[in-house]
Amino acid sequence: MKKIRSIISGLVLTLVAATAHAQTEIVFYHYQTGAPGKTLRAILDDFQKINPDVVVKDIYKHSEQITGEVQAALAARRPVDVTSVIGKNIVFFAGATPAVALNDPKNGDTRWLDAYLPNFLDAGRIEGKIYAIPHSYGTPQLYYNKDIFRKAGLDADKVPRTWDEVIAAATQIKQKTGMAGVAHLHASMGDYGTMVMVTNAGATYLNKAGTKAEFDTPQGVAVLQMWQDMAKSGIMPVANDQQWGAAFQAGQMGMYITSSAALRGFVASAQGKFDLGVAQYPLWKEQPRRVNNSGAAIMLHAPAGPRREASLKLLRHLSRQDVSNHWSRETGYMPLIRNPQADPAMAKYIAEFPLVRPSIAQMAETLPTATWPAEGTLEAQVHIKNMLDELWAAKRPASAIVPETVRKVNEALSVNLKK
Amino acid sequence: MTATATPLGTAAPLPLRGRQWPLAPFLYLAPMIVLLAVFTYWPLLHTIYLSFVQWNMNPDQPMRWVGAANYSGIFNSPLFDAAFRNTLIYIVASIPLKVLLPIPIAIFVWTLATRGQVYRALLFLPTLFSFTVVAVVFLWLLNPIGGHFVQVARLLGGQWPNVLTDPDLAIWTILLISTWKVIGFNTLLYVAGLASINRDYVEAMRLDGASDWSLVRHLLWPLLTPTTLFVLISTVIFAIQQVFTPIDIMTEGGPQNGTTNLFYMVYQYAFRTFNVGFGAAGTVIIFAFLLAITLIKMRTLDRHVQYQQ
Repeated sequence: MKKIRSIISGLVLTLVAATAHAQTEIVFYHYQTGAPGKTLRAILDDFQKINPDVVVKDIYKHSEQITGEVQAALAARRPVDVTSVIGKNIVFFAGATPAVALNDPKNGDTRWLDAYLPNFLDAGRIEGKIYAIPHSYGTPQLYYNKDIFRKAGLDADKVPRTWDEVIAAATQIKQKTGMAGVAHLHASMGDYGTMVMVTNAGATYLNKAGTKAEFDTPQGVAVLQMWQDMAKSGIMPVANDQQWGAAFQAGQMGMYITSSAALRGFVASAQGKFDLGVAQYPLWKEQPRRVNNSGAAIMLHAPAGPRREASLKLLRHLSRQDVSNHWSRETGYMPLIRNPQADPAMAKYIAEFPLVRPSIAQMAETLPTATWPAEGTLEAQVHIKNMLDELWAAKRPASAIVPETVRKVNEALSVNLKK
Repeated sequence: MTATATPLGTAAPLPLRGRQWPLAPFLYLAPMIVLLAVFTYWPLLHTIYLSFVQWNMNPDQPMRWVGAANYSGIFNSPLFDAAFRNTLIYIVASIPLKVLLPIPIAIFVWTLATRGQVYRALLFLPTLFSFTVVAVVFLWLLNPIGGHFVQVARLLGGQWPNVLTDPDLAIWTILLISTWKVIGFNTLLYVAGLASINRDYVEAMRLDGASDWSLVRHLLWPLLTPTTLFVLISTVIFAIQQVFTPIDIMTEGGPQNGTTNLFYMVYQYAFRTFNVGFGAAGTVIIFAFLLAITLIKMRTLDRHVQYQQ
């Protein structure tokens, strides 16, 4: 009897010990590679040290493929707990996957969400519910080559503030040096580039539901006419983002407007080659600056239970000001938490690395990236890409091309209104 | 007693033990049958099924039967006409570039015998490069701002056209890059075909005073027809897949849908915008299209193929 009792107590003790050391594994899909990938892993390792009961398995997938990979994993019922989702796909993901509303009181105290700027949470806010928190956000900004400015007889310390000043500087660069003056990113399918251009000019790219394009207004047409004129005059050689980026980094282009996420790469390329300057996105006429964020937000898919609890712990960890600022400093992504300078490490960083100031100044001027519904999206984006191709070919003015494109886009998206 | 003899050259049927079904052949074939069933025919059947439903890959959401709506959606898509037209261009242009052009190159390399190994290696080298790397490198070379082609043209006093933004030139640029990438592989197939030709025939024709042209016309070309048929079928099937990576990296199907094709369109529907039904319907259309082309080729060309030397 005594022997049986000791066996039972031994088993109970083993079970208790095993339970005490049981770890919950959560799976985090992301598209960070290279240095940002290492930084992310370091942040996850720190999280694991603080929470020894949680193991975070991170899975890297290319940014262009991550949405499809996550879809495939969900379809195959492989564990997917936390995902980096490209901003424009948030609405689709919220509807098509078991995404969890982060501000649902069932998920515990939701005050941690208040750390983020409200405008940064807007991209993930659907009918009052928050399905995504910002993570790898970029903002468009003006990079310029101060050496080319000097060569063209421009004041390298006087940064072009408005589009008129940008065009004037680009024209002078082209005339005096023969080099390319300026380019503005278009991004995949021309979607993000067009969105930023027209939004900053005061037009509405897509309505909040993503079912109607509305940029065929005088402001939208005018700014897209300017984009056509940039190509027509030769100050912007028609190319794609990779080619513009390569030319700028090789010191062959005066100005390039692209995401703040490119800052680290541009700083490294410019080292010993040219003097790099960074400025805020140019203002359009009298309009206040309004720029859409690029990049990815984080969504939660973990099922209710230990995996969801562990995933929420991770999201709360990522929302800590010191962690978020560390992520921003190491990667070049925008700071996401209110008043980042309140963190002494961040204040020191900004003082020592002034090139980051434009993106911080644009935090309050950031609008959520437009999100697309699933149906008709490809057709609509193809029309937008074709619009850019036709604009740059300059055979018809923007006033003819833009309204026609908006009509076609809305025709493609109308399938969502019939539901 | 009358002896029954098996005619020469025909195999006697294997005796069956009683009424037993011969298991051994099926056991030998089983691994391949299972692999084909699981990884080829089941996905094919499932794709056909998916082409009739509306579903977004979410296992918790039901598939909705929509009949032929996905097919009509694909045919009415603003992408379809351009994708289909470009698919035909990619296929038809691949025949002279990837099927016929390697033949003279292979014959040249073959005539060099062992000295041709260097050429063979140089020709084959691009096949080993990742298509992603090739596409990125060509983006640099063709960069209108200081790209190497632009600089060389400038040195020669000319101007290099912006080939990737011109709707008329972009598709030919993609085609030439994919030709550069695969021509070495097809050349190698022809060299292998030539190596199987008995050199005695060549010597005999030479002794009869045959010219180079008649050697090619009456000996090499007929004996290369099995290889040519194989290269033709595989090139046509892969022609639209081979250009996928350069399209995705260099043009995204543009300018003005000038480089897209059915294969890229399917990818965009299925994996960029998660329209599984349209993606599956497009896949079935490609399958039927390639099957029809292959059957036509087999029916019309196979009778001209010289399988025996």
